[in-house]
Amino acid sequence: MLVKLNTENIVAVLIFLFFFVYPVLVDAYSVMNLAYFLSMVFLSLSLSLIWGYCGIFSFGQAVFFGISGYFYAVFTLNSGITTLTPLGLILGVLIGGVIAWILGYFMFYGGVNDVFVGLITLCLTLVLETFMGQTAGDQWMIGQVNLGGFNGINSIPSLQIGSFILTGNSFYYFVLLILLAVFIFLKWFEFSKLGIAVVAIRENRERTKLLGYNVPFIQSLVFAMGGALASLSGIFYVLWGNYITPSAFGLASATIPVVLVAAGGRKNVTAALLFTVLYYWFSQTLSASGSEYALIILGLVLIVAILFVPNGLIASLFHAGDQLFFREHSKSLLRKKGAKTL
Amino acid sequence: MNNRKKRKSLSLLLVFVLVLAGILSGCGKSSGSNDDSKTIKLGVLEDRSGDFSLVGIQKYHAAQLAVEEINKQGGLLGKKVQMVAPDTQSDNKRYQEMAKRLILQDKVAAIMGAFSSASREAIRPIMDQNKMLYFYNNQYEGGVADNMTFNTGAIPEHQMVPLIQYMIKKFGPRVYTIAADYNFGQISAQWVKKTVEANGGKLVNEEFIPLGVSQFSSTISRIKKAKPDVLVTLLVGQDQSSFYEQWSKSGDKSIPMASTVNMAQAYEHKRFAAPALANMYVTATFMEELDQKYPSAKKFVDKFYKKFPNDKYVGMEAESEYTGIMLWAKAVKKAKSTDTDKVIKALESGISYDGPAGPVTIDPKTHHAIRNVYLVHTDAKQKVHIDTEWKDVKPDWLSKEKNVDLTKKQEAKQYTPLK
Amino acid sequence: MEDLLYQFMNNFAFLILSAIGLAVIFGMMKIINLAHGEFIMLGAYIATLATKAGIPLLLSILLSVVGVGIFGLIVDRLIISRLYGRTLDSVVVTWGVSLVMQQGILILFGPSLETLSTPLGSISIGGSDYSLYRILLFVTAIVLLILLYLLFTKTTFGLHSRAAMQNAEIARSMGVNTNRIYSFTFSIGAALAGLTGALYAPTMAVSPTFGGGFLMPSFVTVIVGGANPLIGPSLSGGVLGVVSTGLDATWGTFFGRLGLLVVAILVIRIMPLGFSGLVEKLSVRKSRG
Repeated sequence: MLVKLNTENIVAVLIFLFFFVYPVLVDAYSVMNLAYFLSMVFLSLSLSLIWGYCGIFSFGQAVFFGISGYFYAVFTLNSGITTLTPLGLILGVLIGGVIAWILGYFMFYGGVNDVFVGLITLCLTLVLETFMGQTAGDQWMIGQVNLGGFNGINSIPSLQIGSFILTGNSFYYFVLLILLAVFIFLKWFEFSKLGIAVVAIRENRERTKLLGYNVPFIQSLVFAMGGALASLSGIFYVLWGNYITPSAFGLASATIPVVLVAAGGRKNVTAALLFTVLYYWFSQTLSASGSEYALIILGLVLIVAILFVPNGLIASLFHAGDQLFFREHSKSLLRKKGAKTL
Repeated sequence: MNNRKKRKSLSLLLVFVLVLAGILSGCGKSSGSNDDSKTIKLGVLEDRSGDFSLVGIQKYHAAQLAVEEINKQGGLLGKKVQMVAPDTQSDNKRYQEMAKRLILQDKVAAIMGAFSSASREAIRPIMDQNKMLYFYNNQYEGGVADNMTFNTGAIPEHQMVPLIQYMIKKFGPRVYTIAADYNFGQISAQWVKKTVEANGGKLVNEEFIPLGVSQFSSTISRIKKAKPDVLVTLLVGQDQSSFYEQWSKSGDKSIPMASTVNMAQAYEHKRFAAPALANMYVTATFMEELDQKYPSAKKFVDKFYKKFPNDKYVGMEAESEYTGIMLWAKAVKKAKSTDTDKVIKALESGISYDGPAGPVTIDPKTHHAIRNVYLVHTDAKQKVHIDTEWKDVKPDWLSKEKNVDLTKKQEAKQYTPLK
Repeated sequence: MEDLLYQFMNNFAFLILSAIGLAVIFGMMKIINLAHGEFIMLGAYIATLATKAGIPLLLSILLSVVGVGIFGLIVDRLIISRLYGRTLDSVVVTWGVSLVMQQGILILFGPSLETLSTPLGSISIGGSDYSLYRILLFVTAIVLLILLYLLFTKTTFGLHSRAAMQNAEIARSMGVNTNRIYSFTFSIGAALAGLTGALYAPTMAVSPTFGGGFLMPSFVTVIVGGANPLIGPSLSGGVLGVVSTGLDATWGTFFGRLGLLVVAILVIRIMPLGFSGLVEKLSVRKSRG
């Protein structure tokens, strides 16, 4: 049930193969750059999980991204012991998950749903940005670490396992392996028993509730998983740049994952992965060119993508590929889709 | 069916275009960066779009002007200087990406740039890690002690201390501060407090305004109630500059204002109709109005507008960027190499450039600039008058109070007067 | 006391005027317009440039309303009309629109514009000066709410659009051209944003990021107000105006701003449908009782 022969899976395998040989093909800069893109993929996957699978529209995955980034910074800088950095990573992810759970509990058990979840999370991330922005003073010390206000915290230690510091290629492979694990987990989760209930909630909350599922519980659970994934992304971002600022909570950081997942194809994790990497690469290339038209081109591409490919750019390509090469599958898929929308 | 087909072909087309555009721009980049041996590359990171573009574009243009002049005079070490300048889009993440790109892929000899302190702090550790020579050509809150970093802009010793002394002497001891609620504002406000107390004044209130706030009615009413002798404004960004228009309509214009960021940086006196910026006192290391009195300033301003006739102002950050690049060029010539250690040694030899705002000398111990400071004020029509000038003001807080000596000791941190 | 009243009037006008265009579009069409700030910015540019060209301010303001309204109509016909009913896709598209508009204005007019002077001068009450123009903004906000109320309750368009808002299917089957209603609504929303931009242009720095300062307050006002584009903003503008004036006067600007966001979160948690939901509930109860 897991490895079906269709365009998406073939592409996924090819992408990961490409990622694994990539460092052999290019220079050190490009490897670190891709490591950064891959770090941001976790953020897209977190939204793909909660929005694409479970239908929870969060506009504030940046909340968990930022909180865990700050946690890792404060924890590792305070401990001063570099071998404790893996513990910082694990605790950061757990804390992100727990905070997401609490927030989810607060929302889903209170009957907040749909676009209102998006609005609450958006407000929350803006609260955190406003708050963190003014923490430059020395009253904002946690242990020996100043929260740093708008300028943020820098010189955050890299990950160290034993006496081995993860930088360059080793950091890249570390991120890639975790990405692969998360990816396989998400693919498995989609068709697991819980995953099917999750999709049922997306399609119809009322009906799923009547079937005896504890909808708020499952929603909170998935939201917590999403929070943990976003946290992973935040910590990887910190590890990549050794730096974090309140702009991690800002409107732009909150919007980009939504844009990526919607434009790539939100019900499809491979699409989210591929589109995130392509988007970051494309927008970076535009920015490096120094062209004043960079942002205009970016905006137009997004508009055109949504208008002409409403189910997501990459997801639609997968679908087209299925129709070309795997007629049988796509027909049954279509039928399934038709049934869903009815 | 037909419709669906059409849609599909369109989507394929779109992807094709996307990929093509990317490949093309990628190619353009790499083919341009192959002639390593004939040029010296200089990285410039300035915001040409987004919130900070008001100053970023000025600085980018100043950098273009400087590089053009260096090349006109035969370049450096017999090579042409080639500027590599991505647009950092007022985005700190972008700063990090592009700093790494300039260092590792373009292999530039030095990097100039950054406007906000947050952007500088984002890239400073990257410069340290990669042993990259970095010039932060901007006015800021002071305190950076870093072997790889040089600053040619104004810091509190240049601006704040003379300004507050002058204001208290002329108008009276009661000072009210409003400042942007982030690092620059908080640290600068601390400097105001320190200087006010040292000069026998009294700080009646200090108020911090979050970035992005554009409505000031409550702040204005608090200031009016306090009736200070001097109002110090350390407001940053487009939103906060709206204060002046609102203050002129419902505030008390007889209270003189003093600032270290406004006018010289973002030319508020040219952007707002009088009397919004009337009765304002500013200490600056450069303003385009210095051309009334100083020939070197006039020469620079004329050159600038000749090359960029559509620009609206040449402020102190543009001058810092220009002077920073000229100082770097002079150091490269002196070191006869672009090797980072050698250029740093040359810069630490007390190198000096006679620029648009008078001589600018690098202070070896702190890597900041010894330079002239000018005090100007505006009349009711917002015309700028030059009042006083202090020559060769030393940036010595770091070396005197924090025992920093970058020629002897390795450092990579920012000291603040907060602690 | 008159100081606090003046501050409240300022805050209320700012919240209402920044939110009104967004509220109309979100309430009637369920489109989240992330380019709302840029529509406001466009209004400010048109008003400023027109006034600089010698057109009287009042006429320039009118020109921005019409100009941004037409621009909204074009955006709707080209883009938004294909997204009716797709709330979340509208986030992506309008974000794209905002990127294009902001950078487009930067390329066309540079990073800043010379700002107009606030007209009308100031009046002196109890020894303190108050800007007459800002008091007029408060009056304008209230007049605007009344006009919209009349538009949506007393005209055929209002009747049709309320029908489309409650149930588009049934409205269509009754012969209402919902697409035309939506187009018109979007361009009214845009025109209102243009008005806001034009009204605030003489009091603020005009730049391509002009709209940024409006976005957060406008979203908070709409969230707290809920779906009804009239009851919502008026009530939430009032409540938020009191909250932020109070916090601001007691603890300073930072808490005034933080307070807005915290109130928004609490309101969604306690009554997800905002004040409109509350009012509807109450009126239903009243008509039953």
